[in-house]
Amino acid sequence: MIQLRDVHKSFDVRDKRTRKKMRVDAVRGISLNVEPGEIYGLLGPNGAGKTTTLRMIAGLMKPDQGSIEVCGLDTRTRGEDVRGKLAYLATDMQVYERFTPREQLRLFGEMQGVEAATAERRGMHLLERLRLSDFADVKMNTFSTGQKQKVNIARALLHDPKAVIFDEPTTGLDVLTAKTVLDLLQLMKSEGRAVIVCTHAMPMAEDICDRVGIIFDGKLHGDAPPRDLLRARHARSLDEVFFQLAGESEAAIA
Amino acid sequence: MRGAWLIMKKELLELSKDRRTLFFTFAMPLILYPVIFGVMGKMSMRDEADRKSRPSRVYLVDPGSVLAPALQADPKDFQIVAAPEGGLSKALRDKKLEMALEVPASASEDLKAQRTLALTATINRAEDDSQLALKRLNDLLKTQDKTWVDTRLQALNASPQLAEPSKVEVKNAADLALELGKSLGIWIPYIILISMFSSVMGHGSSMTAGERERGTLMSLLSTRISRGQIALGKLMALFALGALSVVSNVAGSAIGFNMLGHDIAAQSAATGAPATTSLLQMASPSTLGLTLLLLVPVSLVMVAFVMTVGIRAKSQREAATALMPGMFVIIMLGVFSMAPGIEKMSIIPFVPIINASVAIREMFGQQFNWVHYLLALGINTTAAIAFTALATKTLNREDVLFKS
Repeated sequence: MIQLRDVHKSFDVRDKRTRKKMRVDAVRGISLNVEPGEIYGLLGPNGAGKTTTLRMIAGLMKPDQGSIEVCGLDTRTRGEDVRGKLAYLATDMQVYERFTPREQLRLFGEMQGVEAATAERRGMHLLERLRLSDFADVKMNTFSTGQKQKVNIARALLHDPKAVIFDEPTTGLDVLTAKTVLDLLQLMKSEGRAVIVCTHAMPMAEDICDRVGIIFDGKLHGDAPPRDLLRARHARSLDEVFFQLAGESEAAIA
Repeated sequence: MRGAWLIMKKELLELSKDRRTLFFTFAMPLILYPVIFGVMGKMSMRDEADRKSRPSRVYLVDPGSVLAPALQADPKDFQIVAAPEGGLSKALRDKKLEMALEVPASASEDLKAQRTLALTATINRAEDDSQLALKRLNDLLKTQDKTWVDTRLQALNASPQLAEPSKVEVKNAADLALELGKSLGIWIPYIILISMFSSVMGHGSSMTAGERERGTLMSLLSTRISRGQIALGKLMALFALGALSVVSNVAGSAIGFNMLGHDIAAQSAATGAPATTSLLQMASPSTLGLTLLLLVPVSLVMVAFVMTVGIRAKSQREAATALMPGMFVIIMLGVFSMAPGIEKMSIIPFVPIINASVAIREMFGQQFNWVHYLLALGINTTAAIAFTALATKTLNREDVLFKS
């Protein structure tokens, strides 16, 4: 369903002190597969290349090298069609505060090619599942972080995507709301969707992910089920695996 | 195109919920211009009428009493006052009098000897009342001079027309509508350019940098609508807003001008001068239609420029700062387009925006030039296409969209 083959991505940045341009390799030869009905956890420290990888999968960025396919569509050449089959939700995505949830969902449904009435119906169903239907006609400028996140989740799932990418889905959410989101991820898995979750919460990754991959310095390490990874690394938790990999990575640089 | 329409719909729907912005963008000009033209115009005319109803206070030094009788015989225009305390300059500055007039002691002898009478009038040029006093004195002297000349000629048994070998009778070929249209034609392009750009600048910053700042740009980009369609949709929304803002500003000006026109008409009727006309009488439907057609590419140039700059900014404040030079350019172009004789410069028809401004001015002045108009339309359309392509290309750049 989601297939990455030897994907590379670099950026030009400028050193403010020396004023020199530098080439930063954000993603270095990542290959992975995510099958339908699977939750894949993408872990890694800040600046490892997770968000860049997810943006490339979502068709928002193009890889410099390699290929990415979602539901058999090349993200480089069929970006719009890929986004029609995929849901992408990141922490930095906000809602339109002047709209009500109903208005936003109807509008975004239309943008995803869903007929307005259908979009509204699906939107209301999703809001009910997320326990937000009572606020469907309230302007979102009064909403809490958790409520806005729920609307964003509903917005992302409106067009019945085959693949779902969530970047830090539980950041800023209270325990109850976070559980609702995690339950939703399990439901999406059971419905046969391919799910990629990017998170810093290792315990959550251990609980819900079928496989995890840890990105360090743009490279993918340990692409395996959490239990297999723990066994292979003689670790008790993914945190330990993480620290081991961090140490190895620093040693390799040195 | 469906994607672009949806984006445009989203933008306009979002704006429709911001009542404060709606009021200041569309309703405010309909109130502000009538207040400016109407109230300030009324105040100005009232002040003018009040000034004309009062006699000018003159400190007269006339030892030979040569002009004193003429001034005293006209109490409506002149009031002779005593010597001011604290000096003449101070009295004029403090508006204690409008003019000081000195007639030389030798005035009687000068007149008898048929020498030119040299008078000294001291006024404050910065004050309208003082200027009016001088005008009244000149009018009085014109009449007085004629009397003196006629007397001299009579004494010589000569015809009074000896002193007037030629006379010019002026006939105005332009009707009042043309005169006012020409004046208005200088201002209207300026008002349109400024109001269009300032409206587009504000909304454009919000639609681009503002959307990034509010964190909603990524949501839009993650839909199946292409970036080209997103750019086009925002351009269309911005264009619509700019056009509505221009209509609102021009309508407000028209209402204000009509209000002023009614007052002028009432005054003109009392003095027997020709009546004023309305904006619609000054500009025919074809003039207005051609003006609006020409404004389409001009506004697209502005809209695309604002979007190109706005999308590069990280915040609305940064966008507004980056767009300020554009505002200065528009103001300068507007001011430049009002300069007399600008239409005679050979390069002007080839300079975008200013060529449209000059073409509009020519239309309102009933000096329509097809070549200038078509050049303005063509060049601005080409510029609009180029800027639109640039805006779309900018929105497609990863380093611009994902800058941190």
